[in-house]
Amino acid sequence: MKQVSFFSERIKPVIIMAVITIICISLVSGIHLSTQELVIANEGLVLKKAVLYAAGVEIPSGNAEVNELYEERVEEQMDESGDVYIVYGEGGSTGGEIEAYAFIAPGPGLWGEIEMLAAFMPDLKTFAGIDFIKQNETPGLGARITEAWFKEQLRGKQPPLVMNPEGTESSASTEIDAITGASRTSDFVLSIFNEAGLRAAELEKEGM
Amino acid sequence: MASKAVKTLITPLGKENPVFVQILGICSTLAVTNKLENTIVMVLGVIFTTTLSSFTFSILRKVIPARIRMMVETLIIATYVIIVDIVLKAYMPEIWQQLGPYVGLIITNCIVMGRMEAFAASNPPGLSLIDGLASGIGYGYVLLIIAFFRELLGSGTILGFSVFGDWWTNWSIMVMAPGAFFVLAIFIWVVKGRMEE
Amino acid sequence: MNGELLPAAVFFGSIFTGNILLSNYLGMCSFLSVSKEIKTSTGLGAAVIFVMAVTSLLNWIVYHYLLIPLGLEYLRFIVFIVVIAAFVQLVEMIIERVSEGLYAALGIFLPLITVNCAILGVSLFMVIRDYSLVNSFFFGLGSGIGWFLAIIAMAGIRKKISGAKIPKGLEGPGITLIIAGMMALAFMGFSGMINIT
Repeated sequence: MKQVSFFSERIKPVIIMAVITIICISLVSGIHLSTQELVIANEGLVLKKAVLYAAGVEIPSGNAEVNELYEERVEEQMDESGDVYIVYGEGGSTGGEIEAYAFIAPGPGLWGEIEMLAAFMPDLKTFAGIDFIKQNETPGLGARITEAWFKEQLRGKQPPLVMNPEGTESSASTEIDAITGASRTSDFVLSIFNEAGLRAAELEKEGM
Repeated sequence: MASKAVKTLITPLGKENPVFVQILGICSTLAVTNKLENTIVMVLGVIFTTTLSSFTFSILRKVIPARIRMMVETLIIATYVIIVDIVLKAYMPEIWQQLGPYVGLIITNCIVMGRMEAFAASNPPGLSLIDGLASGIGYGYVLLIIAFFRELLGSGTILGFSVFGDWWTNWSIMVMAPGAFFVLAIFIWVVKGRMEE
Repeated sequence: MNGELLPAAVFFGSIFTGNILLSNYLGMCSFLSVSKEIKTSTGLGAAVIFVMAVTSLLNWIVYHYLLIPLGLEYLRFIVFIVVIAAFVQLVEMIIERVSEGLYAALGIFLPLITVNCAILGVSLFMVIRDYSLVNSFFFGLGSGIGWFLAIIAMAGIRKKISGAKIPKGLEGPGITLIIAGMMALAFMGFSGMINIT
C-alpha cells in the first residue's frame, strides 16, 4: 500500500510531466524545423530588398523576382572593414555602370541597436538612399523612421546633415526633417547618417 | 447542453468581460494598440492561445496530479505561444518585428491561465474550447476598439489608410503611452455607466 | 556617441523615460489590484526589483551560454518562464528558513511575481535589444526600480483621493487608469533630461 502511494505521490507526477514536456517540445521543434528555411530566406530577403530600395532600384513584388534582380544588379564585395554592396544600373554587374555603393551602418538607438543600410552615389558624398534593417524604437513614434517619407527625404542629401522640425520639408542638400515626439530617436539616426557619411569618405580614400 | 454552450459563449462578451469588468490581461496587448494592424494580429494570437490551451488542458485535466497542475498549464500555454511566434516569424516577418517581445508575453497574460484555472479545470473539452474562444473574443474586441481610436486620433489613419486628410493634426499623445491609459479608462467609464442604468 | 549603449543610460532610461509599467504597460494586473495600500505596494515593489534584477542576469546567461550554442533560441519563452518560476520558488524557500521577518514582508508576494508580465518582459526585451550582460543587469534593476516607483506613487495618490467623489463609472479601475495615464505623462517629461549616451 505504501509503495502505491509513494508511486502516485512522487513518481507519477514526474513521469506525466516528462511525457507532456517531451510532447510539447517535439511539437514545437517540428514546427520550428519545418519553417526554418522560410525564416532564413526571409532574413536574406530583408537585406536584399534594403540594398535595392536604398539604391533607388524599383523592387519587384515576388520574392523570386527580388532574388533574381539582386543577383543581376548587385555585387557583394567582402572587405576587411566590412561588406560593401555595389549596385549596378541596367545591364547588371557585367555591362552596367555603377549606380551606388551600399553598406550596413549600425549605431545605438533609443532602445537598442539600429541597423541601417546606407547607399551612396558613385561620388561617395551623396546619399542615394537609406533603409532600416533592424530597429527597436517606440512603435508609432521613433519607429516612424521606417516610414517612406522619412527614408525618401535622404535621397540626394549630403552629410554632415542637420535636422529641422517635422513638416519643414527641408529642401537644402544638408538638411532633413526630424520626427515629432521622437527627438531622441531623431538624434540617434542623425548621428548614424553622419557616421555613414564618414565611412563613405573612407571608402573614397581607399579608392572605390 | 446546447443552452449551456450558448451561455458560455455569451457571458465573456458582456457581463463578465475579462477586460472591462475584471481588468485582466491587458498588459501584453495594450502596448501594441497604437496600430490597428498589429492589434489584430496580436488579438488573433491571444484567441488562438486561450482557445487551444483551455481545450488541451481540459482533455488532460483528469490525468494531471494536482501538484504539477500549474507547471503543466504554463507548459501548454508556452507551447502554443511559441507556435504563434514561429508562424508569425515565418509568414509575417514585418509584423513579427514590430510586435517584438509582446507575442512572448501572451504567456503571462492572466486571461489564458485564468480561464484554464476557473473553467477548463472542471469542465469538458468542448465547453472549455467555447469558453476559451469566447474569452479571447471578449478580450479582443475591447482592444480592437481601443486600437481603432488610438490609430484614428493619433495618426489620422485606419489600417494605414488616411481617413482625415491633410487638415487633421495628429494627437501624438494617442500613439504614446499615456494615450492607451486614457482611452481604456474612458471606455470603462462609458461601459460601466451604461451597465448601471 | 561611440556606438555603444552605456549601462548608466540603460539604467536611468529604464527607470524614467522607458518605465516598464507606464510606457510598456507590463505588470498592470498586479499594479491595479495591489496599489490600494502603500504597505503592500512597497513589499511587492521590493520583491519585483530583486527578482527582476537577478532573473535578467540568469536568463542572459542561460540564453547566451545554453540556448544559442544549442540553436534552441525558439524555446526561450518556455526556458525563461521556467527559470523565473524556479528562481522565485528557491528564494521563497530560502527566505522562509533564514528570516521570518523578511518572509512576512516579502514572502507572500513572491508567488504573485511569477505571473507578473513585467518580469518575463524584461528578459524578452533584453534578448530582442541585444543587450550585453552588464546592460541586461542594469536594465533589469532599473526596470524594477521604475516599477517600484510607479506602484508606490500610485498607492499614495489612491490613498489621497480615497475620500474624493468620483463619477460612478470611474470608480476603481477607471480612475486608477486615468491617474496612471497622468503619471505616464509626467514621466515623459524626463525624456529630455537623460542624455548620457
